[in-house]
Amino acid sequence: MEFSVSGTALKTFARSITCLARIGNELVLQSSSSQLCLHTLNSSRSAYQSITFKPDFFDVFSVSGSQVQCSVLLKAICSVLRTPVASIDHLTVQLADSDASKVQWALDCSNVLSKCRSGRSGRPGRLGQDHHLPNMGGSIEIQGRRWVGWVAWARMKKTYWITCNIEPDIQHLSLDRRKLPSSFVVRPRDLNRLLANFQSTLQEITMISTQQSVLPVDATDQIGGKAVEFRSYIDPTKENDSSLHTQLWIDPAEEFVQYTHTRDPVDVTFGVRELKAFLSFCEGCEVDIHLYFDKAGEPILMAPKFGVDDGSFSNFDATLVLATMLVSQLSGGNSSEPAAATAAQQGTKGNTTEHPSDHTRIWSELSGSAVRYGNAAHDPLVPGERNQNTNEQTTIQRIGAMNISRDKNADGVPVNGKELIGSPLYNNGRAPSHHHPSNWIDADEDDDEGDDSELCVQSTPPYS
Amino acid sequence: MSSAAAVDTEADLVCELDSVRGIVDALCSVRWKRFQDALLELSQHGIVIIVEETGCLQAKVYLQRELFIKYDYAATGRPRFGVSLGLFIDCLNTFSVLGRSNVLELRYPGPDMQLMLRSVDSPDACIYAEIRTIIPETISWDYNFEPAGSTPLSFTVKSAALKEAIDDLEWPGSSIQISLQPSPPSVIFRGEGHGDLQIDFNYYVNTDLLIAFSCDRQVSHRYKYKFLRATTSNIPASVLKDNRGSKATIGRGGMLKIQHLVSVAKPSVPHPHIDSAGYQQPSRIAYIEFFVKPEVEEKNGCV
Repeated sequence: MEFSVSGTALKTFARSITCLARIGNELVLQSSSSQLCLHTLNSSRSAYQSITFKPDFFDVFSVSGSQVQCSVLLKAICSVLRTPVASIDHLTVQLADSDASKVQWALDCSNVLSKCRSGRSGRPGRLGQDHHLPNMGGSIEIQGRRWVGWVAWARMKKTYWITCNIEPDIQHLSLDRRKLPSSFVVRPRDLNRLLANFQSTLQEITMISTQQSVLPVDATDQIGGKAVEFRSYIDPTKENDSSLHTQLWIDPAEEFVQYTHTRDPVDVTFGVRELKAFLSFCEGCEVDIHLYFDKAGEPILMAPKFGVDDGSFSNFDATLVLATMLVSQLSGGNSSEPAAATAAQQGTKGNTTEHPSDHTRIWSELSGSAVRYGNAAHDPLVPGERNQNTNEQTTIQRIGAMNISRDKNADGVPVNGKELIGSPLYNNGRAPSHHHPSNWIDADEDDDEGDDSELCVQSTPPYS
Repeated sequence: MSSAAAVDTEADLVCELDSVRGIVDALCSVRWKRFQDALLELSQHGIVIIVEETGCLQAKVYLQRELFIKYDYAATGRPRFGVSLGLFIDCLNTFSVLGRSNVLELRYPGPDMQLMLRSVDSPDACIYAEIRTIIPETISWDYNFEPAGSTPLSFTVKSAALKEAIDDLEWPGSSIQISLQPSPPSVIFRGEGHGDLQIDFNYYVNTDLLIAFSCDRQVSHRYKYKFLRATTSNIPASVLKDNRGSKATIGRGGMLKIQHLVSVAKPSVPHPHIDSAGYQQPSRIAYIEFFVKPEVEEKNGCV
């Protein structure tokens, strides 16, 4: 395998490596005649990122045989890319075959030398016989002045030989984004601005997604169109918790470029670090982020949203799949809890609902039992708890009524991880499926991790 | 303090300099450890500061007399004395106040063989310092650099590029091999550790201007990384910004000499003949030299 990249593509490539390095430790390079795929899986197996490049992304791209692959430490690649991209003419990567012990990364750097100007020559001083003044190399005449100094021209080339990991653990995951029913598109800088409201050290964030109100926002109506809530997730097992709790309600029509969610409210809780890494990547590539999601426990998928005009960007694509917490924040933490009385609940609980905003619908509480409404066969995973502010009562019931007839049999949702079969990242159908026969998240392996297993994708409980 | 006249007749050297910042930059560039002793040698031509890592690495800073506003040398021989380099630099720093021009007087020896420093330009205040000196117990190891042959083996490279290359060569975690070859004219730095890295400088031949690459046969020597690193780790930012070049020469036995030029100009000095950035009169430049012994395979080599 050999490929060479320069210019803007090199910047994108370097940005890809930076993003991958923020997700996992090992980088897998898989090259076929139709594409180069870089992917990484983090150590807790809760984040998987894949970036693929088509051959025309590169100046030179050649693969001998059907497929070549290797695995290297991302730290080593980051050492290679310490050289500022602006001073790199082109980067060339060469791998003899999948069994090669080393992969070669070569940087051709631009002309690095210049004249050393030392001005007019004076009498070279002598600091005594033991200490000669360093020989300045003579003097020459330029434009009527005598210049003393050293002059040179050269090109600098850096060649790294990076050891390939022996017996690499190459896992490939493909998740069909069409199977995730809800999604939104957001500009990176807008999402950055929203995330700035949260403590920078926040580990996980919960996004609660509800259907946008189809009714026009009425000035006299105290319910605004804030259909999405972001909330900081704080581990309940941590006792000495002095972190900042934040809840942020937004109107998708204002903050998102696009928003699609036409079912009951759902929530997903996932890692912020990986989200921010992908955010930086998309921001650098100047593309919007498309985030696909389903519900708690199902993975979410992020991809750059290339606009119609971005023809030049169609030669690469990226996907970040994050596992979400099994436990839904909306159901109060116990999804198998029997439905509570359907009668309206009095009073509110939790600090956040003591002073509810008059302009938002509050779909969640920090504690309390679930409230069920509508259909008795309501899906236990779908949250039913509501803030019983009397002003919002009628609106909530209205929405509940609208959702009663929702088809609860989510056909597209796999029962366990093994069914995460996807079509390839490009929707052209010609590229081969990358379905890996083994489960990318092995539920048995995670039993030892205790509470940490919440972050791993596990089997979805069967529906009633 | 004794009267000025009496002291002047006794002092070996009384000199004044107006660009303390530049001198500090030059001295910092030879600082690779926290605690280092420097040997100062005074002569009618100027001051030389020598710093050494026993038997392995030596650095010299040449401050020629033209750098000083005043240079009154009255000694008969070449006085030598030792000072703590860090202490000397810290002391000079207290005399250099940003945004103000400051003239510093250096005087040696004081009544107790100390080095005396004094600010002389301020009418209403005076900064005064004394630094204890030590008699050098051992003559500094004479690195006695000799040319490797009739044709010098040398190359010049932008200081910033040399520093970048040496910084990158930390990654392999091994000693560094430097090779010169005449055809095609190139210098190769190579490290082989848990990964391999090779940095090639490929030279063009241009007949109009000086060719800063001289080599008539292939040579190759290994150097310990930490000593190579010391030659560029503290290059002043002004050198990197001014686009200056550094010259490397391989002498007999593989001894490596690396030379830098550090500007010691007074800040914002207007000059009628400035026609390009970085222009400096040669007399406003301090010369820095490093000597690195090659790695020896035998046990009695450098540690």
